[in-house]
Amino acid sequence: MTTDHAPSISGTAPSATRARDHSLRRRKRTSNALVLAFLIAASVIMAAPFLWMAISSIRDPTELAQVPMPLIPKDLRLENYSEALGRAPFATYARNSLILATAAAALNVVFASACGYALAKLRFRLAPAVFGWMVACIMIPFYATVIPVFLMVRHMPLFGGNTLMGVGGTGWIDTWWALIVPGAVSPFMVFLFRQFYVSTPSELIEAARLDGVSEFGIYTRIITPLIRPGLLTVALLSFEAGWNNFLWPLLVTTSDSLRVIQVGIASFRQEASTDWHLLMAGTTLAAVPMIVLFLIFQRYFVQGFAASGIK
Amino acid sequence: MTTTAPTAATGRTAPAASPTAPEPRRHRSVRTAEKRWGLLLAAPATLHTLIWIGAPIVVAIVLSFTAYDIIHAPEFSGLENYATIFTDGLFWLSVLHNVIIAAVGIPISMFLALVFATMLNRALPGRGVFRVMIFLPHITATVAVAMIWLWIYSPSQSGLMNVVLGVVGIKPLPFLTNPDLALGSVILVTIWQGIGLKMLIYLAALQGVDEQLYEAADLDGANFVQKFFRITVPMLKPATFFILVTSLISNFQTFDLIYILTEGGPANSTSVVTYRIYQTAFQEFRVGLANAQSVILLLILVVLAFLSRRIVGGTDDD
Repeated sequence: MTTDHAPSISGTAPSATRARDHSLRRRKRTSNALVLAFLIAASVIMAAPFLWMAISSIRDPTELAQVPMPLIPKDLRLENYSEALGRAPFATYARNSLILATAAAALNVVFASACGYALAKLRFRLAPAVFGWMVACIMIPFYATVIPVFLMVRHMPLFGGNTLMGVGGTGWIDTWWALIVPGAVSPFMVFLFRQFYVSTPSELIEAARLDGVSEFGIYTRIITPLIRPGLLTVALLSFEAGWNNFLWPLLVTTSDSLRVIQVGIASFRQEASTDWHLLMAGTTLAAVPMIVLFLIFQRYFVQGFAASGIK
Repeated sequence: MTTTAPTAATGRTAPAASPTAPEPRRHRSVRTAEKRWGLLLAAPATLHTLIWIGAPIVVAIVLSFTAYDIIHAPEFSGLENYATIFTDGLFWLSVLHNVIIAAVGIPISMFLALVFATMLNRALPGRGVFRVMIFLPHITATVAVAMIWLWIYSPSQSGLMNVVLGVVGIKPLPFLTNPDLALGSVILVTIWQGIGLKMLIYLAALQGVDEQLYEAADLDGANFVQKFFRITVPMLKPATFFILVTSLISNFQTFDLIYILTEGGPANSTSVVTYRIYQTAFQEFRVGLANAQSVILLLILVVLAFLSRRIVGGTDDD
């Protein structure tokens, strides 16, 4: 290769380039190593609180009183979990959260996708108005409307001993209705679905129409199967929001049998006060399902979160 | 062929004598069906949001002009609630805390998120693992996160933060029970929890930055820092704006963290707007006043969205 004696205009160029390439590559390697070291340190710091939670949940509580406290527990004490489960009905809490989160996921997939499809693919007169309304709704924080929503739920006519005028009883308070209905459709999910549907080919719809497929059939059988990853994304994001929801279940449930896990943890805190090994066992139970779900469906979560920017 | 194929496929028999007649009619019926189904499919979600978001806003505005304690019927009180808010030091202190949390926490977590995203944007072994570890705080319920930090901040000798500080020779600090330290302790948690999502958005945006820009800079001998500030930061301006606005909005919705960590204390040193509204409505039962506070919160968010658009978008011409 270097034996090429052609009288080139810049005879030294190849070797000079190679040398520079070489040093570039070396520089890249050292900088990669530096970056790697930094990332390891940073991600360990970021994950440390979770590690501490897990460690504390299996620690023998007497270790906490030792001076100095051993950072790593001497032996694994899973009894903490059974004790926590005995002190508060975490299984019921988890079941309730599962129902709430699943309902939120299913309802959003059905109703938000229908609306998103209509906005993306069907021309009807009110479409621009509906789209503008949904975008406006995304901007409105739940905390700004939570009191009126609470009042509406409490004064739901003919429920919970209420009269037709919505007075006299407790309405939907402490019922599944209150937990599920107000959050059944999220405007953000409508928006997300619209984005997914916009990228599907309209030619398919035209072709299906010519083949005599009904409009509803086109939506359910032709186009929606094309956005399966999008369906999963919305289902997962809705599930996450349902599982992690706190303020709303806190406000509308009073009985232990309807309590969801996040509210359960908060109330367990009063009960177990400084029994941190039990509190961390309970917290682990509340945190781990979402972490596992995220690890399995990371790709779909990421797709949705990148579009949302809002917790 | 193009005119017969559709009718053959649909199975509808068109009279051969008038080949042009069925087409407009069929087309018209398709348009009608499209309109009808558009409305039908959009209706449930639209009605739901009208009932559970639209109506509550109207109710909030109406009730903000009343005195209402849940037990007795609301009574019109004019602008009294707004006058009360105007002189309510605790409400504005809560707003101020939101502003401080945002002003300190958001820039720090945005910067760290950008640094992490830039580093994770190259082919590195185990980048998926790093990404997950940095993102975990976001996916975890804030209640659980707050419980963990409550334990980490524990003033006892087994509180992790004090153990770590003890290694460097600092005496145990009352992180959440000292009014001077509590807000800072809260901010640290918001930074830690906020990095993941911002990093994710930056990572997505980095995919759109032309690799050739970096290659050209490499040839010119630019170092990491130069490339970061001369290429990465300018190219990510839209993402930065997006993150800033969404972070500001979600900052004003901080509630769970405060509820668990500090309950707004000690001495109201960590009270935030949402927590103040919650107290006004569900502990003091001044529902009319709480609705007026909610309306103010709504206005703050609207103004914020517009302001940040001007600040970040104002330098678009370079």
